Amino acid sequence: MINPQIASEATKKNIKTHPIWFKLKHNKMTLIGFLILFAMIVLALLAPVLTPYDPIKINVAEKFQGPSFRHLFGTDEVGRDILTRTLFGARLSLGVGLLVIIIAACFGIFIGAVSGYFGGIIDQIVMRIMDMLLAFPTLILAMALTASLGPSLHNAMIAIAIVEIPIYVRLARSETLVLREKLFVKSAAVFGIRPIPIILKHIIPNAVSPVIIQATLNVGNAILMIATLGFLGLGAQPPTPEWGSMISIGWKYLLDYWWYPTFPGIFLFLTSGALNLIGDGVRDILDPKSNR
Amino acid sequence: MMKMVMRRIAFLVFVIFGVSLVTFVLSHIIPGDPASMMAGQHASKQTVEHIRQQLGLDQPILIQYVEYVKGVLSGDFGTSIRTQNPVIDDLANYFPATLELAIAAFIIAILLGIPLGIVSAVKKNQFWDHASRIFSISGVSIPVFFSGLVAILIFYGYLNWFPANGRIDMTINPPTRITSFYIIDSLLSGDMIALKSSLQHIILPALVLSYAQLAIITRQVRASMLEVLSQEYIRTAKANGIHGYKLLIRYALRNALVPTVTVIGTSFGALLGGAVVTETIFDWPGMGKYVVDSIAYLDFPAIMGFTLFISIGYVLINLMVDITYFILNPQLKE
Repeated sequence: MINPQIASEATKKNIKTHPIWFKLKHNKMTLIGFLILFAMIVLALLAPVLTPYDPIKINVAEKFQGPSFRHLFGTDEVGRDILTRTLFGARLSLGVGLLVIIIAACFGIFIGAVSGYFGGIIDQIVMRIMDMLLAFPTLILAMALTASLGPSLHNAMIAIAIVEIPIYVRLARSETLVLREKLFVKSAAVFGIRPIPIILKHIIPNAVSPVIIQATLNVGNAILMIATLGFLGLGAQPPTPEWGSMISIGWKYLLDYWWYPTFPGIFLFLTSGALNLIGDGVRDILDPKSNR
Repeated sequence: MMKMVMRRIAFLVFVIFGVSLVTFVLSHIIPGDPASMMAGQHASKQTVEHIRQQLGLDQPILIQYVEYVKGVLSGDFGTSIRTQNPVIDDLANYFPATLELAIAAFIIAILLGIPLGIVSAVKKNQFWDHASRIFSISGVSIPVFFSGLVAILIFYGYLNWFPANGRIDMTINPPTRITSFYIIDSLLSGDMIALKSSLQHIILPALVLSYAQLAIITRQVRASMLEVLSQEYIRTAKANGIHGYKLLIRYALRNALVPTVTVIGTSFGALLGGAVVTETIFDWPGMGKYVVDSIAYLDFPAIMGFTLFISIGYVLINLMVDITYFILNPQLKE
């Protein structure tokens, strides 16, 4: 075991021995998480070139074929290649998961900063609304929202973003409460700069890092929720290649054609597992108490 | 203490109002007209108008909300479009099945989660720790509908050890209704056949439902055990010759459990939510399956009634967790 002191001395010489790198290198689980995620992103990006099949076009002549060299993951009830659909599903899930969290974080940080900066009645109203949203179990609220808006991928994304917003509002608000007492913010106000420019230029850039960390931790969760809504028939609608809705249809054929729901399920599990491993690692690295 | 509880109860009333406001707004932004939906496709204009009046949909929105809250307070959650029953009766019918499943999953999660967490902390960075960490990372990463699928494929499809649908075998009469919990009822009435069948039926869904919460509890127990074990009083106790079981359970675990209580409490709320998916997969006749069927039918009174019911339950559980936490942690008493 290398003494941490030596490690931090080495930092000055070489950026590759920076403490975060050092911790990361010695945290195998996190590294595995990064590798899986990287592989998943590459597969998602290359999906159209990796397989010769179309993810949506029907080919009834080849329905329910088991895994073979022609169709590594088999085919579904209308003869579409499951590998192709799973890879396109990776595109959709990763993209949508990231997008939902970015939307939630952007709205959350702005609302939180406004609420914290102005304080008073605005703050009271905003925080009580957030308390209301937090009073629901997340999945149930997302379900009710999507059901009301009408089942579709877009509406599922809106619903999940709304459900995720309160976390970011709270984070940004508590950062803002500290920042607004800082000299540079107060002097900006004295110089006559209006509140909104102060929030945009001085508060948000300084409150952004905890929000970004929280956001990375939540991407996996968002992906799982999208898949769950898809599974319940509330998210992406067929024939969109989405993991949750693929599993929801494949599920009916489980005992006869096991490959149909299993492969999209494995991909979903690997993706969210990789994101959770990374999240754990990030938490470990940022926690001053853990010295490994 | 009393002040804290009073404040929390005041907050609870506020939250219930808020939750009802949210569900009310949600059921009013739905596309389409509930009155014509309820009347069916071939109804005349007059019938639709009549239903609209009956439902109070011709009133101003504010009055509608007041009526809605009045109804909720007196237990009237509206009438289900699909079953034509009052939603509250439907929920009352399906609730015991959900509660039985959630409690079974809860017991599994606690009974396995706490020992796993302790072992993981004591054997930090050894084989069992790594194994239990992989196990718990999988638990939070695997969606319930996929773990359920794998469980059915293996334990029902290949091994045929457990049945995979319903609460009890179709050929067996349910036990005499006392508590509506099949396991307790069959025990009370001494109906061993029903007991065996209902136990067999509950094992797979309860295990699948408990997995995520089991993982979260294991993680929490591991983290707080590690923290407690590095404290001075544990070292002193060790120096005084206390070791093994007594040190771990009587000295360390007691303090490690305080932060765990919060996690355990919230996990029960999460189990009620997770039940929606689990019940769909295992065809378990509970509230979750009821609401998923209602979603397919766009039965909004039922969906919103369920959401309101679960959320109120969730808030109540959180209140109880806070109070327990308060009692367990004497430092919080001023």
